[in-house]
Amino acid sequence: MDLEQLRKTAAEVASREDVKYLVGWKPGTYGYRVAPAFIENADGAAELIFSPLCTANLATYLTLVEELPVPRGQEPDDRKIALMVKGCDSRAVTQLLVEKGIERDEVVIIGCPCPGMIDDCLLAEKYPETEEPAEVKWDGEDFLLIRGGEETKVARDEVLAEKCRLCRYPNPVVSDITLGEEVETWELGEDQGVKEIEGKGVDERAEYWAEQFDKCVRCYSCRNVCPLCYCQDCILDRLNPTWVNRSVNFSENTAFNIARAFHLAGRCIECGECERVCPANIPLGKLNRKLAREVRDKYGFEPGVDPDAEPFQASFKPDDPEDFIL
Amino acid sequence: MSAMLLNKEKWPEFVGKLAGKKIVAPQADGDAMHFAPVAEGEAPALDYNNTRVPPKGALFPQTETMLKFQAGGEQVEEPVLDQETVVLGLRPCDARAMAIVEKLFKWDIDDPYYVRRRELTTLVGLACTEPGMNCFCPSVGGGPASTEGLDLLMVDLGENYLLEAVTEKGETLLTEIKELLEEADDDAGKEKDKLVAEAEQKIKRKVDTEGVPEGLPGLWEDPLWQKVSASCLGCGTCTYLCPTCHCFDIQDETEGFAARRCRMWDSCMFEEYTLHTSGHNPRPTRKERTRNRINHKYSYYVDKFDVIACVGCGRCTNLCPVNIDIIETLRQVNEAL
Repeated sequence: MDLEQLRKTAAEVASREDVKYLVGWKPGTYGYRVAPAFIENADGAAELIFSPLCTANLATYLTLVEELPVPRGQEPDDRKIALMVKGCDSRAVTQLLVEKGIERDEVVIIGCPCPGMIDDCLLAEKYPETEEPAEVKWDGEDFLLIRGGEETKVARDEVLAEKCRLCRYPNPVVSDITLGEEVETWELGEDQGVKEIEGKGVDERAEYWAEQFDKCVRCYSCRNVCPLCYCQDCILDRLNPTWVNRSVNFSENTAFNIARAFHLAGRCIECGECERVCPANIPLGKLNRKLAREVRDKYGFEPGVDPDAEPFQASFKPDDPEDFIL
Repeated sequence: MSAMLLNKEKWPEFVGKLAGKKIVAPQADGDAMHFAPVAEGEAPALDYNNTRVPPKGALFPQTETMLKFQAGGEQVEEPVLDQETVVLGLRPCDARAMAIVEKLFKWDIDDPYYVRRRELTTLVGLACTEPGMNCFCPSVGGGPASTEGLDLLMVDLGENYLLEAVTEKGETLLTEIKELLEEADDDAGKEKDKLVAEAEQKIKRKVDTEGVPEGLPGLWEDPLWQKVSASCLGCGTCTYLCPTCHCFDIQDETEGFAARRCRMWDSCMFEEYTLHTSGHNPRPTRKERTRNRINHKYSYYVDKFDVIACVGCGRCTNLCPVNIDIIETLRQVNEAL
């Protein structure tokens, strides 16, 4: 993608009177990090980038806005938030529209067709991270790593993020402005993670997840990074009644993780952010993708692709299969 | 006992001598390391950079059961702390963090849980020879072979570990295993100094703390807090993975008719952390919460205990999902001062 075009468009949007700020990506402070950028005016747009390291789904910032009570005599700031989205991110926005978590006129969506993102952990395994921030570009089918004045070609297959191997929507499904050309979809890999889970017997599966949930430190980064975990009053924070105890042990950790997975069934748009941010390395993607697959297979429903769809968990069809109801 | 050498071939024997005590050491968990109890008869490998979750839980467990009771019952059961523990291979930064946090837990009253656990625990550290990319311990008063907080320091000299007792507890441990040890000669000391100097050279990132503790309160309304916290998700990664973060909450929990009173790690980055019963929250947004986190470490703690409550381990920076980098934050603080 042409960075000049991106920055020019962003500068125009950020200086619009009806736009409060624009959320995009900027280079991080070290290694392979990229940081979210909040741009309030045309000048700020100069730091924006779009690269194979822009894995983060910024749609979470639409519902993470903290609003203090408006002082007497002042008007609330109702201006729009502009957001840069990849294909997967745009599905989160669409799902938010479906659920009325946001209204269409509250956002300006800048779509970035996405040729695929890098898993920075895979990249770091092959090319250890250093203090110097590195630059990565798309280079035909592959990637180009640029640091310390040196360019290294990195094969796509070695470092492509798992969510991108399975991605069916590289182009934004909703946008006001689209930057650059649409990208062609690519051949999908098999979902090895879900296949592995499905290959296990019930006991083995229980044992596997017990081991995983045991590692959970309950930092709630998975919940907070998730663009679709936006309840004002989360079941996990309630103290009266306490639905999930704060104690960190297998039972409570399991209650938390299962509650989150079920609340996301038919809503998760498979952006993989929960798994990316988990400090305990819990493979949350497998869990959420398994549920997404169940909903897709059983009900033919896919979240975040049609802004006019009825929310899956709030709709009923007379011909819904009921083969799991006793 | 002066500095001693332990041939690495005798490492399993050394661990074997600790039988009867609970041994906690770094263990592999996929591609990440974490501290966990070692199974009997096993000798943990110590060649690792650092764990994602710090070993602070050895003295300050994420969930500590203070007492148990039954609905309708009259008995209150208090768990007895009597398990002798050895933490093997913790990094000097993490041990230093324990020494820093101990100042608080021994401040106005002796915290019975922390102090008792520290009495029961021997901390055997391993000097760093391969610091991580976001390590900055020398900037905040530590170093790759700092002994603060440790009972015994080990240095990996290749074929041997160099063992130096720091406290009486460390001396006692050396005496218990003395038949495995050899007296270290001058060369070993020189080798250690060389390795430590090399490790220090490898630490590239730095923070300038000069004037920060005194200057921070003056930056209360500075726009930098809005800038730093704009992308914050409000999760507990930075605080839960911080070896010096020590905030806790106490809650009563029930399971059927059984109940327990627990104290558990809390995080100042959580929304309900300072939420009052009235509904008022003195730290209503992530801006105030981020400001508090930095102020607590770099100003309030210095005010009270004369030491910065950050040991430069780099975990918050390594694992923040949105690249909030404490080194960069402190650079911005310095710029604003």
